[in-house]
Amino acid sequence: MTQEKETRRIVIPEVTRVEGHSAVTVDIKDGEVVDVKLDVFEGTRFFERIVVGHKADEMAHLTSRICAICSTGHVLASIRALEAAVQYKPSVRLNLFRELMHLGMIIESHATHLCALVLPDFLGTKDLLTFADKFKDEFALWTSLRSLGCAIQTMVGGRPFHPVNLHVFKLSHYPSRESLESLLPDLKSGAELALKLAHTFLNLKLPNIPSLEPNYLCLEQDGVYGYFGDHIRSSEGFRRPISEYKEYLSEYAVTYSHAKKSRSNGKPYMVGAIARLHFYHELLGSTARSIYMASDLARGSCNSMLNNLAQAIELVQAIERVQTIIALLSELSHEPEVEAPEPRLVGSGVGAVECPRGTLYHSYEVDEQGVITAADMITPSAQNTERIERDIRNTVSHRLAENGAGKDENLECDLETLIRSYDPCNTCATHAVRLRYV
Amino acid sequence: MNLENKHNTLPTIAVEGLTGCAGELLVILENLDKLLPFVRVVSFPFAQSSNQGGPVDITFVEGSVSQKHDLEKLERIRAASRWLVAVGNCAVWGCVQKGGCTNCSAAEKMLQVYGKDANFDVLEAAPLEKHVHVDVRLSGCPINATQFLSVTASLLQDHLPYITSKPVCLECKLKENPCVLIEDNLPCLGPVTAAGCGALCPSVGAACYGCWGPCQSPQMEAMAQVLTEKGFALEEVISRLGSFGAPAELFKRWKPFNENGAAVKGV
Ligand code: SF4
Ligand code: SF4
Repeated sequence: MTQEKETRRIVIPEVTRVEGHSAVTVDIKDGEVVDVKLDVFEGTRFFERIVVGHKADEMAHLTSRICAICSTGHVLASIRALEAAVQYKPSVRLNLFRELMHLGMIIESHATHLCALVLPDFLGTKDLLTFADKFKDEFALWTSLRSLGCAIQTMVGGRPFHPVNLHVFKLSHYPSRESLESLLPDLKSGAELALKLAHTFLNLKLPNIPSLEPNYLCLEQDGVYGYFGDHIRSSEGFRRPISEYKEYLSEYAVTYSHAKKSRSNGKPYMVGAIARLHFYHELLGSTARSIYMASDLARGSCNSMLNNLAQAIELVQAIERVQTIIALLSELSHEPEVEAPEPRLVGSGVGAVECPRGTLYHSYEVDEQGVITAADMITPSAQNTERIERDIRNTVSHRLAENGAGKDENLECDLETLIRSYDPCNTCATHAVRLRYV
Repeated sequence: MNLENKHNTLPTIAVEGLTGCAGELLVILENLDKLLPFVRVVSFPFAQSSNQGGPVDITFVEGSVSQKHDLEKLERIRAASRWLVAVGNCAVWGCVQKGGCTNCSAAEKMLQVYGKDANFDVLEAAPLEKHVHVDVRLSGCPINATQFLSVTASLLQDHLPYITSKPVCLECKLKENPCVLIEDNLPCLGPVTAAGCGALCPSVGAACYGCWGPCQSPQMEAMAQVLTEKGFALEEVISRLGSFGAPAELFKRWKPFNENGAAVKGV
């Protein structure tokens, strides 16, 4: 039987259960995908311009407003950029507190994304009441895990997001050993819950998404499965200092724009949990590693939907690492914090952190008066956009070939699931140049 | 009674976002389990996939109006809602996208950030009240969960809620914190900022930077005078005071500003 060649347009006017606002349009002509657009229509807020003219010490609390769920990431990236400008090396203790704060964000963000935003797809619920009522266990899993992430961030940062306690060169207040140790019982039960969640994701049957060649980028780690670094690693084989981000990122951008019409030769890349595990799964603790080894990730699959499982594995790892950090900080708490003299903030610097969704860059120029004269921020979601479009294109082409015209009722749903697995954060993404297609 | 039937007679709520950081959406999502026995959520695109338009008892709106799309959405929301609650600094004051740079227009910002080819429908960032009638204004950055629940409880009883707009100093004194403005010479904006956070910043020894927006009748001139006496440059003081969306009217009578409330250079 010859199949009718299809010409139509798939439109998802608003992708739900993601942060911010975006829409998808796929144009199909004669059975071929001719155009894919992920239009991020979240309003822009011009942060790169807004921060100019403010004092450097205001960056942490101004840039945290880019995005609530990764506010800790923006705060830490801005702090790292400004400290890099004056070659400031924070003490071991300060670094541990920052890492603790960051892990609180990872736990909260991953738990919210996995349980509240992704799981309903696989459980087949569309509204919250059904989810809360029919899937009490999953709902409870989410409330416990995100409360744990909130509790960590509240202890170190003063509140669950938009932290008030983190500043360039210091914390205003160092939490006591007692308050740190008060987290231990919840961490213990959290570890079990996270493991349960990871097994749920390990056993999920994923919709059919054709594999793409991997092209991953992630900050270089040293000995610990962590989220801060000064160099980038690429699965294409290069390693560069983050201060050169404009060169290695724009290389890709150039490739895209040259390849706009023949994107199959282009090379979109992916940042986030799946990229981090690709490079650093050997640094995982034994529990997290055993899940990794049992999964398709270890067998080299690069189905982007495995990013969900990758986040679940990171959740397990993060809870373990938090316990280690608390033990380390408890030992250090006997020694009084000797605050190094604070240098004057001036010059230019780049800082980066691995946010829940991937590498986040901040870059600043500061004048002699300590005032910001130029700023740049590159968010993970903006970096992933091209790759999401490419995944959508491949999936639709593949499914058209498989199912023919008009018979694939799940396609739109699966596309949303696919987009959601990237955990896109459009409030963040609206800071990228070249992002929005008009 | 089975769940479906009981559910259909409950008052309805909707939670919508314009241009913001999704902080309020997150706070509401995280506290939704406490509300679910009492309301039916008809629309919450951040959190669920089946969303309906149509009349709703209470709509919570996060974010500022920063593009035409926001405005159209807000007008639809207003027409459909019995109570419209502006939640968070963006919706109540306009936050940093309005106050971060008062001397540059949206068009200029677009040019500088996106280059000359960019062509989006941008509007000057503004709080909801600039465009539609707002029934309740609940500020915060992010909002305080307890305040959010009590506002909802009041509205479910058909009462307009009482929301304090006393200064942060009051909460700070109740906590018996040492004053970081007097003792450490930090640029604390507690005297002119609305309370509700529990004086978070001074409680960890840091300066309040005004994230809740202005308190009732803030004494901006006195605040500026104290800060300049402590050695902060006037330009810096002005920029700090305005960052989180304090409206221009509050600066009108003050010498470094013209009658439109815009800062006059070089005073
Ligand atoms: S520290 Fe700030 S908020 Fe507290 S009393 Fe002093 S000025 Fe007011
Ligand atoms: S003290 Fe001021 S800046 Fe800090 S959380 Fe409260 S209102 Fe916001």
